[in-house]
Amino acid sequence: MRRGLDIVMGCVAGGCLLACLTISTGLVWSIARRGWGALSFSFFTEQIALVGASGGIFWNLVGTTVLLSTAFLACAPLAVSLALMERVWLRSESMKKALRLGLYTANGLPSIVFGLFGFLVFVQWCGWGKSWLAGGLVLAMSMLPTVTLVVLERMAAIPQRYIAAATGLGLSQSQVAWAVLLKQSWGGLISGSLLGLARAAGETAPIMFTATIFAGVTFPKGVVENPVLTLPYHIFILAQDSFAAGVETKMWGTALVLLGLVFSMSVAALPSRLYLHEESDV
Amino acid sequence: MTRVLSWLLSALAIGAFGFLLCVFLFQSGPVWQSEGTRYITGVSWFYRQHVFGALSLIYGSLAVTAVALLLAGPLGLGAAVFLSEYLPQKARLALKIPLELLAGIPSVVFGLLGIALLRDWVYRTFAKFDPLSGDTLLTAGILLAVMILPTMVSLFDDALRSVSGAQRRAARALGLTRAETIWNIVLPQASRGIASAFLLSVGRALGETVAVFLVIGRQDNNLPHPWYSPAPLLEAGQTLTTKLGGAETNIAFGDPLHWAAIMGLGVLLLVLTAGATCLGTLGRRRHA
Repeated sequence: MRRGLDIVMGCVAGGCLLACLTISTGLVWSIARRGWGALSFSFFTEQIALVGASGGIFWNLVGTTVLLSTAFLACAPLAVSLALMERVWLRSESMKKALRLGLYTANGLPSIVFGLFGFLVFVQWCGWGKSWLAGGLVLAMSMLPTVTLVVLERMAAIPQRYIAAATGLGLSQSQVAWAVLLKQSWGGLISGSLLGLARAAGETAPIMFTATIFAGVTFPKGVVENPVLTLPYHIFILAQDSFAAGVETKMWGTALVLLGLVFSMSVAALPSRLYLHEESDV
Repeated sequence: MTRVLSWLLSALAIGAFGFLLCVFLFQSGPVWQSEGTRYITGVSWFYRQHVFGALSLIYGSLAVTAVALLLAGPLGLGAAVFLSEYLPQKARLALKIPLELLAGIPSVVFGLLGIALLRDWVYRTFAKFDPLSGDTLLTAGILLAVMILPTMVSLFDDALRSVSGAQRRAARALGLTRAETIWNIVLPQASRGIASAFLLSVGRALGETVAVFLVIGRQDNNLPHPWYSPAPLLEAGQTLTTKLGGAETNIAFGDPLHWAAIMGLGVLLLVLTAGATCLGTLGRRRHA
């Protein structure tokens, strides 16, 4: 009886895991199957034509790259500063705790909230209109908590004796910050940023009011009224409006490219993530 | 120098988030003044008549989230149990990698899959209830369930792993089978972590916009009569996020009261998601 229950339990749990993996990989497979036909050299190098039914996604790739680079440049210094704040400058334990809780909470904020904020502040109050800079800054804000938390985890994992040795050699706090903390945790900044960017690359909600349109622009030439084309918004619009056969292939092709982009960034960030999230042995 | 710089930049970062909160609170001011508590309890939203009741939107958000968690919760917990309790370390890591990857699939891609696969399936499967289309709250809930499943498995797995191995070994040494160890030792001890993981998933599900947007139908004022009736699940609906993501946000900007109503939805969303995430984080950390 007990033996039987044991086996049943194992089967049920295993079945659950199998179901999860089947559903998820099935979805990836169905995207790949539909999108594969669209991929060709010209798909990456041509611009959009016939409302998405023809041509390629060159400027969408460029636009997404512009947004991600802006987001990275705006986010990285802030993330490092916040992490140093928690590790070095803040003295009181309760302040540190408040900062960490704030970061975790901010990490769970819905991306549409950042989109509305950007729409009001950058698009309307600053008068930028839809602009790549507004989108980049909004994405930077939405990924800032993730990046900071990864950097922070990495800094916390630095052995205490490194810091003690540096302090013992007479280094000041800022010298310790540069020579030990930043030097030992730059990998965390890279993998945290990759993780944040992987999420940001697929975000539609924060940029649809602030930074992106469907067609008709190339490389931005200024800030005001200079939107970009992006991969997620391209899919978002085509998914709602279009049933023409040519569009469908291109749409799934775009989804496949976006998925490839996101996956490759997440894979690059994986090793350090797994390493950090492992608890002691069972 | 370094010190000044990191204080300044940190102040900038924290200031930006504080500014975000203030913007939402102050910009939504007029609607709280004009509608009062009716803004939350009111059942109808007609912006041309300046009637703003967000109850159907709150209902939509909660209904979709409930469907998603009811479907994904048990499946995810089962999968996490197998992952953390049955598999050897290497296999477990090997399976966590695809799970982490799948958790990162962009929501717009999920929306696309929802349109292509799920919408018709729901329409055909529930044909005897005569839905108007495949765009329903139920469709959105199922899509959301698939979407948060990898995240949930990962969070549940973390919670189970935080129970120390010594407890498991002691239980097995006393002659308990593996299943008994799981039911009597691991799950009770991880219950707090599991609850936290659940809350974090609630926060994630409530805030999801684009995937839900594409399959929910975006029909205002869909409320159940009586309140426990499941009928609206098979009708088009609207959540807080899909309302905010729709064209109405652009329309609203010229009209102070309408804009305040839109920002008020942002406040409700912030309160719900931040509340769930904050509670979830606190529970998780004290547990660990």
